[in-house]
Amino acid sequence: MALAFWSCEKDLPTEAVIEPYTFAGLDENGGNWAPILLANGSEIGIPAPADVTSAAYLAELEDLKNAASGLSSSQKAAVQYWGGNALVRWNEIARELAAKYNLIPAPNPDGTYPAPDAANPSQYPLFPFANPPYTCRMLAYWSAAQFDAMIAAWYHKYQFNRPAPHEVDGSIKTLLPHSGLPAYPSEDAAIAAVSQAVLSAMFPLEKDFLTAKAEEHKNSRLWAGMNVESDLVAGDSLGRAVAARFLARAATDGMKNAQTPKPVSDSIAQAAQDRFGWHWENLEIPQRPVGLAPLFGKVKPWCVPNIVDVRPGPPPAPGSPEFQRDAEELQDIQDNLTTEQRHIANFWSDGLGTYTPPGHWNRFASDALLARNYNPLRTARTFAYMNMAIMDAGISCWDAKYYYHYPRPSQAIPGFQTILGIPNFPSYTSGHSTFSAAAATVLAHIFPEDKAQFDAWAEEAAESRIYGGIHYRFDATVGIETGHLVGNYSVVVAQADGAE
Amino acid sequence: MKYFKLWAPAIALALSLNLSAQTPSDAIYMDKGQICLAALYTHDTWDEYWEGTLKRNNENIGTLTRQTVMPMFALGITDRINVIAGLPWVRTKASAGQMAGVSGIQDAGLWVKAKAFEFKSGESVLTLHATAGLTVPASNYLADYMPFSLGLGCVDASLRAIVQYQWKGWYARAHSGYHVRGNTTIERDYYYTTQDYYTDEVDMPNALDYGASLGWWNPKGTLKAELTMDGLKTLGGFDIRRQDAGFPSNKMNFTRLGAGMQYYPISGTGLGIIVSGGYVVAGRNMGQSLVLTGGVTYQFHIWH
Repeated sequence: MALAFWSCEKDLPTEAVIEPYTFAGLDENGGNWAPILLANGSEIGIPAPADVTSAAYLAELEDLKNAASGLSSSQKAAVQYWGGNALVRWNEIARELAAKYNLIPAPNPDGTYPAPDAANPSQYPLFPFANPPYTCRMLAYWSAAQFDAMIAAWYHKYQFNRPAPHEVDGSIKTLLPHSGLPAYPSEDAAIAAVSQAVLSAMFPLEKDFLTAKAEEHKNSRLWAGMNVESDLVAGDSLGRAVAARFLARAATDGMKNAQTPKPVSDSIAQAAQDRFGWHWENLEIPQRPVGLAPLFGKVKPWCVPNIVDVRPGPPPAPGSPEFQRDAEELQDIQDNLTTEQRHIANFWSDGLGTYTPPGHWNRFASDALLARNYNPLRTARTFAYMNMAIMDAGISCWDAKYYYHYPRPSQAIPGFQTILGIPNFPSYTSGHSTFSAAAATVLAHIFPEDKAQFDAWAEEAAESRIYGGIHYRFDATVGIETGHLVGNYSVVVAQADGAE
Repeated sequence: MKYFKLWAPAIALALSLNLSAQTPSDAIYMDKGQICLAALYTHDTWDEYWEGTLKRNNENIGTLTRQTVMPMFALGITDRINVIAGLPWVRTKASAGQMAGVSGIQDAGLWVKAKAFEFKSGESVLTLHATAGLTVPASNYLADYMPFSLGLGCVDASLRAIVQYQWKGWYARAHSGYHVRGNTTIERDYYYTTQDYYTDEVDMPNALDYGASLGWWNPKGTLKAELTMDGLKTLGGFDIRRQDAGFPSNKMNFTRLGAGMQYYPISGTGLGIIVSGGYVVAGRNMGQSLVLTGGVTYQFHIWH
C-alpha cells in the first residue's frame, strides 16, 4: 500500500512555470527612456532592415516557415520555456549558477586556504566563489545591461517599425501570443546576447552551457514563427555591444581588489582596533586568514554617489548596556528557540550553496513581474533598479562591516552557539537586512500595492539572522535603515528615467 | 532458547540509527503471547567523514557525537509472526565549532516479521523469513544540516528477506532489504543539489541494506556472541561537494564490521544484558562511526 502511494509522487519543481502571455503594455516610448550606461537608446546603431517587400525579406519568411514546420517535441518545449518571460528565465539561470558556485574554499592539508583564481578558473577552488558580494554584482551587471539593451532595442524597433512576420504573411502561425511590438531588432536575441556575454564573464566555466542556452533561446523565436533571422542578427549585435559596455565597467569597478592579501586585511582590522578598541576575527579552524572581500566597500556603486555618505553610525561598544541587552536577547532566543523562529532562520538562511539573499529577492521580483505580464523592457527595468540597489546596499554594508569590524556574537559572547553557520566577515551591519531593505524599497516603488508584503519580507529576513544567532538586533535594525536609504537612491534615478 | 530473541533486532536498530532505518534482521521469534521490552543506549562518534568519496576531517566539527536512547519491544503474535516497535530519542553534538547540536525524538518504527519457510535435516536447520517495516518521523525535527540533524525526516517503508542456516549452537545469517522513502521536508523552499529545486520538499532516494552474521550460543543458553557485517547502499542521491554541507538526499553508503554479545545473568528471570560495537570501514557522504551500544532486555508472557 505504501509502495502504491509513492509510485504516483510528482516530480518536484526545478524551475518556474511560465505560461506565455500578452504584454500588459508596450511602452512605445521606451526607446527614449534614460539608460544606465548608454547615453541614450540611439547610441548604438544597427543597420536599417530590409523592406518587408524585398526579395531578401521574403526569402527570410520562407526560411521561417521551414524552420517552424515539423518541430520536434524538444523544440516545442523550448518555445514554451523561453516564450513566457525570457528575462525571468535568464534570471533563474543566473541564480542557479550563483548557487552552484557558492562554495567556500576548503583548507589545504597544511592549514592554509587556497583562493579561486579568475585567470585559472577550473583549478580548485573553482572560480568564482559566488558569495553574496559576487552574486549581487553579477545580477546588477546582468540586469542593468539588459535594461540598456531593451531601451536600445525599443528605440530601434519604433525607429524602423518592421512588422512581425505574421503581420506580413498571414499564413504564418505563431506558437506564442502576438506581442504587437515591431520585430526589428529582436528583443529576445538582445536578451540572449547580453545574458550569454555577461554571465559567461561572471561564470567562465559555464560559457559552453550559456552559449547553448542563448542559441536555443534565439532559435526558439524562429521555431515559434515570431522573428526572421535578420531580426535576430540585429538584436544579437545590439546585445553584444551593450554587454561590452557593461563588462568594460566591470573590469574597472574595483572588484578585482576586493579580496585583499592578508597584510591589507590585517591593517584594516588594526585600523578598527585603533579607532574603536575592537576587531572581528574569523573563528574557523584553521582560521581563514582574510575575511570575505574586505574592500568590496570600495567597489564603484551604481546610484549612490559617495558610499561613505550612507555609512551608518557606530554600533554599541561590546560590554555597553545597549550591547548587553541585545546579547542577552540572543542568548535567550537560542535557549528557548521556538519552531517558528527556527523556521524563519532557515527559510532566510540563503547561505553557502544557495542563490544568496540577492538571489532570493530576484526570485520575489520574478514572481511579481510574472503576476503583471510585464513586457521585457519593464521587466528589465525592474530587475535593473532592484539589483543596482542591492549591489549598492552590499557595497555600503561591506563598507560598514570592515570600517567598524565588529565581532560576531559567537566571538563576543563566551560559549555562544548558533543554529546557522557563521559567515566569514564582520557582524555590523547585517547583509541580509541591508540587501533586503534596499530590494524591498525598489520593489515597493515599482509595485506599490505590494509594499506591505515586501517590507514584511525584509523585516523577517533581518529578524531571521537574530534567530539564527549570527547577528545582534542592532545589526539588523541599522541594516534595514541603511538598506532603505540606499534603495531610495535607486528609486530617485528610476523616477527620472522617463518610464514614470 | 527463548532468552535470545530480541538481541539481533535490537542491535540492528541501534546500530543503524536513522541512517538506514533498518528493520529487524534476525531469525528469532518471541513465542505467541510473549513480549520482550528493551532499553538501549547507543554512543556513535566520528571525527572523519567522507565528503563524497573524499575522506576528511573537519576541525569545525571536531568529533561528532550522536547519542541515542531507544525503548522498544518485540511481541509474539504467533510463534511465527512477531511485531517489533521502537522509538529513539537522539542527541547530536560537535566537540568544536559554533554549531549548536540538537536533540529530540526521531522516527517511530514498526516491523512485522514472519517465518516463511523452515527445512530441517539432522541438526541443520535452514529458515527463510520476511520483514516488513515502516518508520515515520515522530517529531518535527529538522532533516536539514546533516550531520547535526536527528534523522532524514522521511517515511521509510521496507521489505527484507532473511536466510539463516543453523547447526548445533552455530548459525550463519544473511539479510537484505529494500527501502522505499517518501519525500522529506526542509525549512527553506529553495535548495541546490545538482540543480535548483523550488520547493521545501526533497525527493529521497531509495536504499538497499544488507548484512551477514556469524553467531554462537553457549550450551546453557545464557550467552550469545556474534560477528556482524552490515551496510547501506543508497540508490541515487548526490555527493557532498567540496566543503559543502551534508544534505538529506546525499548518496549515503557505508559498510560496517561489528561484534556483540547478549547475556542472561540470572536464569529464569527474563532479564538480559546487551553490548555491541561496530566500526564503519568504508563509506560515502557519512561519518566513519564507531558505534557502541549497551542495554537491558526483559521478557515475559502476557498471554498463553
